[in-house]
Amino acid sequence: MRRNGERMKKVTIFAIITSLFVSTFSIANEVNVFNARHYKADSELYSKFTNLTGIKVNLINGKSGALEKRIISEGADTSADLYITADAGRCGAMDAKGTLQGGLTSPAIKAAVPKTFRTSKWVGIAKRARIIYYSPERVTGAELSGMTYEGLADPKWKGRLVIRKSSNIYNKSLVASLIKNNGKAATAAWAEGVVANMARTPTGNDRAQIMAVAAGEADIAVANTYYLALMLSGKKGAEQQEAAKKVKAFFPNQNDRGTHMNVSCAALVKGAPNKTNAVKLVEFLLTPQSQEHFTNNTFEFPMIDGVSPSPLVVNNLGLDFKQDMKTKLDSYGKNQAAAVEVMTAAGWK
Amino acid sequence: MKFNSWFVSSFLISLIVLIPVITVFASFFEATSNYYEILKNTFLIEYIFNSLTLLLSVLLLTFIIGTGAAYLVSFYEFPGSNFFKWALILSFAVPPYIYAYSLTAFFENYGTAFTILKNLFGEANYNKNIPKFDGMFGAILSISLSLYAYVYILARASFLYQSQNLIDLGKNLGFSRFKSFFKVILPAARPAIVAGLSLVAMETLAEFGAVDFFSINTLTTGIYNSWIYFDDLAFANRVSFFLLLFIFSLFILENLSRRRAKYHFNSKGGFKQKEKIKLFGIDAYLAFGFCFFIFFISFLFPLSQMLYWTIKFPENLFDLKITNLILNTLYLVLLSSLVLIIFSLISNYGNRVSNNKILNFLSTLSISGYAIPGVILAIAFITFIAWFDDSIVKSFGFSSIKKIFIGSVFGLVLVYFIRFYSLAFNGIKSGYEKMNISVDESAYLLGYSKRKTFTNIHIPFLRNSLLFIIILISLEIIRELPITLILRPFNFETFATTAYISASEDLLEAAAVPSLFLILIASLFIIVTSKYILRENHE
Repeated sequence: MRRNGERMKKVTIFAIITSLFVSTFSIANEVNVFNARHYKADSELYSKFTNLTGIKVNLINGKSGALEKRIISEGADTSADLYITADAGRCGAMDAKGTLQGGLTSPAIKAAVPKTFRTSKWVGIAKRARIIYYSPERVTGAELSGMTYEGLADPKWKGRLVIRKSSNIYNKSLVASLIKNNGKAATAAWAEGVVANMARTPTGNDRAQIMAVAAGEADIAVANTYYLALMLSGKKGAEQQEAAKKVKAFFPNQNDRGTHMNVSCAALVKGAPNKTNAVKLVEFLLTPQSQEHFTNNTFEFPMIDGVSPSPLVVNNLGLDFKQDMKTKLDSYGKNQAAAVEVMTAAGWK
Repeated sequence: MKFNSWFVSSFLISLIVLIPVITVFASFFEATSNYYEILKNTFLIEYIFNSLTLLLSVLLLTFIIGTGAAYLVSFYEFPGSNFFKWALILSFAVPPYIYAYSLTAFFENYGTAFTILKNLFGEANYNKNIPKFDGMFGAILSISLSLYAYVYILARASFLYQSQNLIDLGKNLGFSRFKSFFKVILPAARPAIVAGLSLVAMETLAEFGAVDFFSINTLTTGIYNSWIYFDDLAFANRVSFFLLLFIFSLFILENLSRRRAKYHFNSKGGFKQKEKIKLFGIDAYLAFGFCFFIFFISFLFPLSQMLYWTIKFPENLFDLKITNLILNTLYLVLLSSLVLIIFSLISNYGNRVSNNKILNFLSTLSISGYAIPGVILAIAFITFIAWFDDSIVKSFGFSSIKKIFIGSVFGLVLVYFIRFYSLAFNGIKSGYEKMNISVDESAYLLGYSKRKTFTNIHIPFLRNSLLFIIILISLEIIRELPITLILRPFNFETFATTAYISASEDLLEAAAVPSLFLILIASLFIIVTSKYILRENHE
């Protein structure tokens, strides 16, 4: 009896160990997504895609940096088809490293996405603007009139500005776009002005910047558009909903190139084992149905025409603003290193 | 020198564990990128400064909390002392990154503290009066309150072992309670406390989740950033060099204290069971107050914050595939413990029977896997596999082996193995050290083969050590974040990765549910096994 038990134990151990080596090598109808965008709404969309096409979406969620490193190391043998992340600068940087391939050029994609927001290797799937939030109690209309990103360095904002750390990718892309438009030297001087104006050492995420204005720690904040809508939606609780009502949104650079835009992007990985399916998924994400799903859940701006942003965005942020359609988004990746250099040199924590 | 199969297998195991260390140093000679030379030295100084600040503060806090609490529960009887004895280990169930989420959730503008004040005193802007525990201070608190248990467990074990004679000595010398704590009790427990502190130190230097959450640039996050974002291996290696320097000095310190600890524990004869002193009045309140405060802020506080959020945002509860996550966690825990135990037994036994200097040296080195932060380990592993595959496997015309190692449970368990090997190896080693080599010789004389000696004599003898190791490994794996995050397969999540991913997307309230489950599962585990955690150390 005891002997038998021992044998069983050995068999079980052996079975567990061999099960380690057996992974799924079968060829399936699937698409592998390295996903650095983790909204619940996204996974709901992927399920819809599977129901519609029968193509299974395999996800590996993670931080963009680690996912990128894995794609690069896997090289030609990569299992990744698409890399989806929430910043054009990242897609651009991946392209610069030679890890992407062309192919996102189907008529459906070209028709849906304006040229500024795509290359043949990566495509914007949803837009966001990085804007200024202010306290209507402490900031007058005259002060804000004609306000630009460049104006954030104006000494009149001394001790009144909050913005997150320089390591944040949204800031890197914003500064990269300033370098593209104004040059590196001017942007370096600008960064020093911004640092001099900060109400506190940068801390917390975008939402924390907005709440700092609501709480009276600062008068203006720089943050992405969807955060305010998220707070107003009540999904973050009643307190934050109240707090959000204490700040107003302002779209900078309306008199010149327009407000800085960024995208969540999907990039086609070089060596993708399921390239056709990857293109299909991108096309699906650009359909009106998916775009509506994005706007209502993540409060981003739609990538395509004919879909309206969430009412929370329209009513509280406004819709009629001039977007910067002049600065090509691939410059965010190209100027990223320069942006980090400029911010670090200015002592931007 | 004998080259038998035991020797070969322990040699191989040590070699596998050494792979990441070798990779880090091998890439030392690779070309550097153009990443702004001038700024690098500024960065490096910042990294070192931050790591030192973090390290010293955490050491100080864990020392005070860990030894303080251990002293109280070992020497005194006061209300709840029997409860706190094991309840204070529960902080182990809260990893630093979850503690960091709780701190932020509670103290941020319009956070839980704001809600409480509003409900108590009505509408007002309380935000300015609520302290902000973020940045460096937040990180120090998060790490200290999770890790003090290392010091607590080891210090308590050592205090328990102190003979009544020692305490009488203090009394006879006419020392006050305070004086005898500092002059007699503390020095006698020093080796154990230093051992606990060096574990804390290693974990602090390797810490990623909480430090990354508060965006503090330490040596570890510095290596990660320069490696991942700037592809600057040379700079990453320069930073690694400093980190390893830190770690190896700790390592030596820890080994030294261990040697002394052995000396101390072997005090045979004259051991007199000590009598606990019963505390009354204000003393009893103070002792209770201290223990309760620690228990409250280290365990009850994060637990309640996560529970509160789960109740406040219940929709997140239904989005989570809980059974799936539990199964994944159990799967990883079982597999890793099994592999770690088997191979550490083999290499320990190999060391014992071959008694070879090279092997001894190799296995000492291979323990360093524990000292290398999980993030660095995972990246080094991927780099190594990619190199090995591209330059060796393919040149022999074989197909790529990357998929076997990267993004598979096999690869994941392999890197867990490298990271936690020292826990298992050292645990078994200390078990073996209590077992004289003459036992083996007698067994051989009785006609036992080496294998039979191993299975019939060693394994039963080591049973308690093995149990303790399994507990430690399981807790580590339930909480493990960076390795799992980087190496896991498609559609494979654990509580730790789910929590982290929600938190990194500014969805802290969605991170609450997996965090809560992680805390509950780890707590359950600690409660069930607390008998062993507390016993093993005073054997």
